Amino acid sequence: MKKFICLFLIVIFSCEKDDICPETTQTTPRFVIEFYDLTNPDEILSVPGLYALGLDSEGLQVPINNEIVTTRSSITLPLKTNGSETEFMLYKSYDIVDGITSGNPDRIKITYNTENVYVSRACAYKTNFDIQTFAITTDTDQWMIGSEILITEITNENDIHVKILH
Amino acid sequence: MSLYAQEENIQTSDSLVIKHKYGLRVGVDASKLVRTFLETDYSAIEFNADYRFTDRLYIAAEIGNEERTTSTDYLNSTAKGTYLKAGIDYNMYDNWAGMENMVYSGLRFGISNFNQTLNSYTIYDTNNSTWGQTEVLEGENFKDLSATWLELVFGFKAEVINNLFVGINVQIKGRLSETQPDNFENIYIPGFGRTFDSGNFGVGFGYNISYLIPLIKKAKK
Repeated sequence: MKKFICLFLIVIFSCEKDDICPETTQTTPRFVIEFYDLTNPDEILSVPGLYALGLDSEGLQVPINNEIVTTRSSITLPLKTNGSETEFMLYKSYDIVDGITSGNPDRIKITYNTENVYVSRACAYKTNFDIQTFAITTDTDQWMIGSEILITEITNENDIHVKILH
Repeated sequence: MSLYAQEENIQTSDSLVIKHKYGLRVGVDASKLVRTFLETDYSAIEFNADYRFTDRLYIAAEIGNEERTTSTDYLNSTAKGTYLKAGIDYNMYDNWAGMENMVYSGLRFGISNFNQTLNSYTIYDTNNSTWGQTEVLEGENFKDLSATWLELVFGFKAEVINNLFVGINVQIKGRLSETQPDNFENIYIPGFGRTFDSGNFGVGFGYNISYLIPLIKKAKK
């Protein structure tokens, strides 16, 4: 009987972790871009002072959580799970001096289909994305020159989904 | 030592024959009825029966219907269905003369047929601070699901007035098989209870009120 009570308590208390989605579980993935050298398209090339902002449906800028200005060769961006397109403004050499923003902004647009996939009791459903199009809006001093979709299915953040030449 | 042996001798040579009641005991799970009244997301009824086979061994079964809505931060679903559990109970308790109480352990095979409705869910997105959460409200009903399991039961039954018993039991279950809905899973299985991400086990309890229909009386060997 004592053995049984012990077993019963173990069962009860081990249940709790089942109600919390582990951080290690891949839930809704973000979209990953890697930057390459325009003159040598096989070489990764960092972007100085790279900074991203989201653009809502009215074109207003939306800050992205944990996004800070850094020199890096890849960027991870959250997509709208309740829509079929998301737009971002990517800045090169972003800086704010006395309230005046400097840097070169380029606008990108990703269109996609979504699929909600069941993960587990605690993590419920995640959204996977299937990239339809990726476009850089043309402007007079564009820093992103070319792009290529490497993987259309966005199911995790270990893949590089789009390659950008600059 | 010798005194002890003598006492036993006296007892065994005493010719008083103790008769035990054998019969069919039928009842309901009162806890399920109470929860049906108190909880808005739960309704169930369970009938149970056991039949005394030998001095300590009983053939036992439960049949029930259960409906349960499970709501977490990200999921809301309702499971509804019918189940049957059948097996044996073994009485471990040595009754005093004329008493019919039980402290027992038992084994059951359980089978459940049910359907599950996904009422709503919220997309799990750790980066939702930029664009907000997406809640999907369209319901989907998954029919003709089933599950089987084995169950260990521990409990007692006490005769409170003549032939009327109350009992409490706890159940530890191990799932043998189940049919899973497409792009979802069984969150709750009627008769089995809630499921866990980390394994095929389950737990349950019962609070039974039952009545013994005595059919024959047998002397204890």
